[in-house]
Amino acid sequence: MHRLTLDQVSRRFGEVAALDGVDLTLVSGEVHALMGENGAGKSTLIRTLAGLDRPDTGRLALDGTPLPAGNPAAMRAAGLRFIHQELHAVRGLSVAENMHLDHPYPRRAGLVDWRALNRAAAAALARLGLTGIDVRAPMTALGPGDQMLVRIASTLIPDAAPGARPAWLYVMDEPTAALTSGESERLFAVIGELVGQGAGILYVSHRMPEVLRLAHRVSVLRDGRNVSSRPLAETGEARIIEEMTGRDLGALFPPRPAARPAGEVVLRVADLAAGPLRGASLELRAGEILGLAGVAGSGRGALLRALIGALPWEAGSAELAGRPLGRGPARAWAEGLAYVPRERRTEGLMLRRPIAENVALPYLARLARLGLFLDHRRQRRLADELGGRVRLKAASVAQACEELSGGNQQKVLFARALAGGPRVLLLDEPTRGVDIGARAELYRLIRGLADTGLAVLMASSDLPELLGLSDRIAVLRDGRLAETVPAEGLTEAALLARFYHDDGAVT
Amino acid sequence: MMQMARRFGGLAGMLAVIAFFAINLPETFLTPRNLLNISQQVSMLTVVAATMTVVMVMGDFDLSVGSMASLAGVVAAMLFTRDFSIGAALAASLAVGLAGGLFNGLMVSVVGILPFVATLATLTVFSGLAFLVSDGRTIFGRDIPEAFGAFARGGPVLGSVDERALVLPNLTLVAAVVVLLVWLVLEQTSYGRRLYAIGGNRDAARLAGLPVVGLRLSAFAFTGLGAALAGLMYASRVASANPTQGDGLMLTAIAAVFLGMTLTRDGQPRVLATLAGVVVLGVLDNGLTQMRVDSYVREVLVGAIILFAVGLSALGRRGLRRG
Repeated sequence: MHRLTLDQVSRRFGEVAALDGVDLTLVSGEVHALMGENGAGKSTLIRTLAGLDRPDTGRLALDGTPLPAGNPAAMRAAGLRFIHQELHAVRGLSVAENMHLDHPYPRRAGLVDWRALNRAAAAALARLGLTGIDVRAPMTALGPGDQMLVRIASTLIPDAAPGARPAWLYVMDEPTAALTSGESERLFAVIGELVGQGAGILYVSHRMPEVLRLAHRVSVLRDGRNVSSRPLAETGEARIIEEMTGRDLGALFPPRPAARPAGEVVLRVADLAAGPLRGASLELRAGEILGLAGVAGSGRGALLRALIGALPWEAGSAELAGRPLGRGPARAWAEGLAYVPRERRTEGLMLRRPIAENVALPYLARLARLGLFLDHRRQRRLADELGGRVRLKAASVAQACEELSGGNQQKVLFARALAGGPRVLLLDEPTRGVDIGARAELYRLIRGLADTGLAVLMASSDLPELLGLSDRIAVLRDGRLAETVPAEGLTEAALLARFYHDDGAVT
Repeated sequence: MMQMARRFGGLAGMLAVIAFFAINLPETFLTPRNLLNISQQVSMLTVVAATMTVVMVMGDFDLSVGSMASLAGVVAAMLFTRDFSIGAALAASLAVGLAGGLFNGLMVSVVGILPFVATLATLTVFSGLAFLVSDGRTIFGRDIPEAFGAFARGGPVLGSVDERALVLPNLTLVAAVVVLLVWLVLEQTSYGRRLYAIGGNRDAARLAGLPVVGLRLSAFAFTGLGAALAGLMYASRVASANPTQGDGLMLTAIAAVFLGMTLTRDGQPRVLATLAGVVVLGVLDNGLTQMRVDSYVREVLVGAIILFAVGLSALGRRGLRRG
């Protein structure tokens, strides 16, 4: 029986308090769910537990003995293990070898003892009831779900380091994000097995049904504060959501315009099949913000990627202002679509290039004199003008994007999207990793653009954002737009219920 | 501060190299004749390195340039032996360079083979072709038209020193034109900025509507063409062609681009910085030869200097990121 306590842990990044006096107690034999919106401080808390981030103030203790902060080795020796949604499998190595990456290989006469290696791996898997996995198979032959289970099992291999406690506390960060429902079930079974053997779990997720099913205790973080820690019996879905979102949403989101005549249909998509999409259809009108909602993998982002031409189409058609939409990113931009990708660092920005070049990227041909020579001055002017429109805060447009905050980087992408005077704006998670102040500015910007007649299609996993900003919300299920509902008056619980409508995961 | 040190440290090092030779070779190093001589010695390298910069701004590189230069040289020489006109032979040889470059581009951007693997393979292919075309022989003497060899020896007269004419070599002029062209393309056209965009973030470029596949393809064509031109320059300079004479160009050209990258503010390849890298390598080679340093020792020294400069720059950048 172990007990890990956090006592008044605080951590600031500049102006933002990521953690603000957090108290938390994690014990053996219990699944402790940690919930909170994006930016509530969950990842900083995880990084603190992992020893990757050192709190400004506050103490960590194991069974009353203080633990050194900011020391990953000490946290590991204290018996903590971390299971991330992104797996780091080494290609080309077998399952057994992957399981021994952070353990010494068993040896005989100085050489690797392959039989002992495979035996140790198989024994660890068997403890979780995972007898169907061949430890000699290459790790990459397993699906993401089995890879995660293997990762968990690898923590059961005894650690050779002297004085180290066996693993007893597992921190799982959105573990089911990449798993199918079958794989998730196997994970839940393993979690049950671990807890039965006396382990504790810190289960970080925003998936309400999973939390309600697995957790013994639920803690909610909001704006870096631990708002509550209650046994599940004393709380419930409605209460948790209320505690998660407790801020005044009215101030964050600009008001919707008063009722007005519906704009004309700008974008019409029929029976689109691409990636996870299986016959998605929608109509988008000028001046409206249509939210795209659904569980991860439902095809929210894929729909946007298919429209901008980054995902090949298997079937379907799309019309922009009555004309068939061209395929491929170049045609799509030229015809009036503009896209803000989900991963701004990998898919959006040239981080080490100046702001001006990032804004002008899709329009270089238009900025050329004689169709050939780039007009650097016009490029700078364009970036200056658009930077002003999106309220970009930067020293100058010659500044490299990597020096900007997340919110300002996102504004660079908005400036790029707007520079060509688009008809339709495709936004994939437009405020992901953006702090609350910049978020409010982006919301005002998006609403302002819609008011001038732009049509906005916004995919988001952030429920308050979908509810607060959209005019209508389209729910994706099984690769289709299952239903489209007005956002006004909808609650998070009601929206979440629609995500699962068919399989009855939420009642 | 660190950034200043990194940027101007490289420049200071280069000036130090020149100063070192100027002091140790007071009679012969900093003379107009020697400087013009260096400019001709590095002209082939300049052309290859400048066009190599075109693919390196995209984060790619081309290992096949050396054997392409050899191949272009022997193709022209073999056509000379069949009594083709100089113009026709040059055109055919440049066409071979363009085709080889396009083939590299096809493998890298359409098929999707890593540049290292694709151009390593075509290095072998081009080299083999050069032996096939030439039958493994060196083509020289009467087979090479007088005018072809004379081109490299000639050039506009600038004046005279010690009663000998001071000539600006034609090859230097060719190299200067190539550098100017590449500079225009990379720095002043939207085409060039798109190549930089691909180097900055290929996925972002693709999602922003840039035709990434076609751009990469065309950039490799540039490099192939440059390699062929350098091969012709080499053949003209020695008035002969053999199937291995361009082979040394590839490593030195890539080294010159890397040396140049240590000079730019953002660590990007830029053609004028590449030119500075070429000059340093050329000066080193010339100065060390004049000081009668053994050629093997010279290679060790040049390699060490490249490691030192690029290593210093990498350390500086790491310091920058931490700061």
